Amino acid sequence: MSQWPFVIAAYAVAIAGTLALAIGSFVSMRRAERAAEALKRR
Amino acid sequence: MKAKNQRLVLVLAATGALVAAALLAMSALKDQASYFYTPGDAVRDHVALGQQIRLGGMVEKGSLHREADGVTISFRVTDGAASVAARYTGIVPDLFREGSGVVAEGRFIAPGSFVADTILAKHDERYMPPQVAGSMHEAKSLKP
Amino acid sequence: MHVFANPARFLSIARPLTGWFGWCGAVLIAVGLGAGLFLTPVDYLQGQTVRIMYVHVPAAWLGMAGWSGIAVASLAELVWRHPLAGVAGRAVALPGAVFTAICLASGSIWGRPTWGTWWEWDGRLTSMLVLLFLYIAYIALADAVAERGGQARVAAIFGLVGAVNLPIIHFSVLWWRTLHQGQSIGFTGSTIDPAILWPLPIALAGFTLLFGAIVLMRMRAALARGKVEARLRRLGSAA
Repeated sequence: MSQWPFVIAAYAVAIAGTLALAIGSFVSMRRAERAAEALKRR
Repeated sequence: MKAKNQRLVLVLAATGALVAAALLAMSALKDQASYFYTPGDAVRDHVALGQQIRLGGMVEKGSLHREADGVTISFRVTDGAASVAARYTGIVPDLFREGSGVVAEGRFIAPGSFVADTILAKHDERYMPPQVAGSMHEAKSLKP
Repeated sequence: MHVFANPARFLSIARPLTGWFGWCGAVLIAVGLGAGLFLTPVDYLQGQTVRIMYVHVPAAWLGMAGWSGIAVASLAELVWRHPLAGVAGRAVALPGAVFTAICLASGSIWGRPTWGTWWEWDGRLTSMLVLLFLYIAYIALADAVAERGGQARVAAIFGLVGAVNLPIIHFSVLWWRTLHQGQSIGFTGSTIDPAILWPLPIALAGFTLLFGAIVLMRMRAALARGKVEARLRRLGSAA
């Protein structure tokens, strides 16, 4: 059985999951902090 | 006692009791939660003929034979003390080999004779490059 | 313990740390995984598939470390009523769940070419799946409390009780016969050859730092949202 497809699949799952988590957390943090800033200046 | 310390004691005691209870329950489940029978267990527990079980152990060195049809193999599963003859027809995992771990799903058709429908390979926790494994093997075979 | 009780003081430390953790983590992950993919030798039995270790082991570690974090935060919330503990526990939950899922998925992909199966109900695999369900339940519980109100303590108690599963995961391969191999890294050493092992600590450190950055980002988001809500409530009552 060829082994590289399994290795690539495992890395793809791990990297995609980590990236989605990191980017999602960053975007929601930015949005929340901007909203808080905007409200403070009002 | 301050309320804070009271809470701490209470929470820690409750958690400790819970953990102890869970661990006790889990280690009591030892036999039920075990994933396979070893050949020794199978003999001791009088596993019924035809009962679907998992049998695990090492593939005995020098016991692996391919039969004339080319797809059926026979080998012995051993746990060091007892050993059982097993037969399987089909493709085995790459890691299935002599001297390595195996978990076979199937049933006994006669005392000491097991027919497997599925073969899984069980490897151990040692990982090493082929060169290292090779020299280890040599070192072992050099022993008197 | 109460050094960080003041959110403003916490934020003044969390803001610069987020970037440092995130970027250092990303660099270490790139180095660790790159080395694990291209520099290390193959395993004598498994061949190339041993490389899955460099993502599987950090994911497993973070899945379990995440719940340890929830348990500590829950303790701080219940005993000391620490104001940031609840925020911290909730911030850890989703990253912990994601890494537990990555651990299960990469383990499944590793199991097929080595063991010959995608999934088996052995002690280690089952207890790790239970951890994923615990995370999902904790998230649902914390969300329900946040939306409909109620005792925030309920989630904290659940976080503490769920920690019972952690020693079960750890000892599953010792107590029970499992298809999963025994533990290969302990306090006294490792059964992994140094030539194969060396990128693993790099990847572990990298994923851990990134996990820290993600938790800080989620805590900052939760604090900012809380600020907005409090502000709106005040504006609403003033009008």
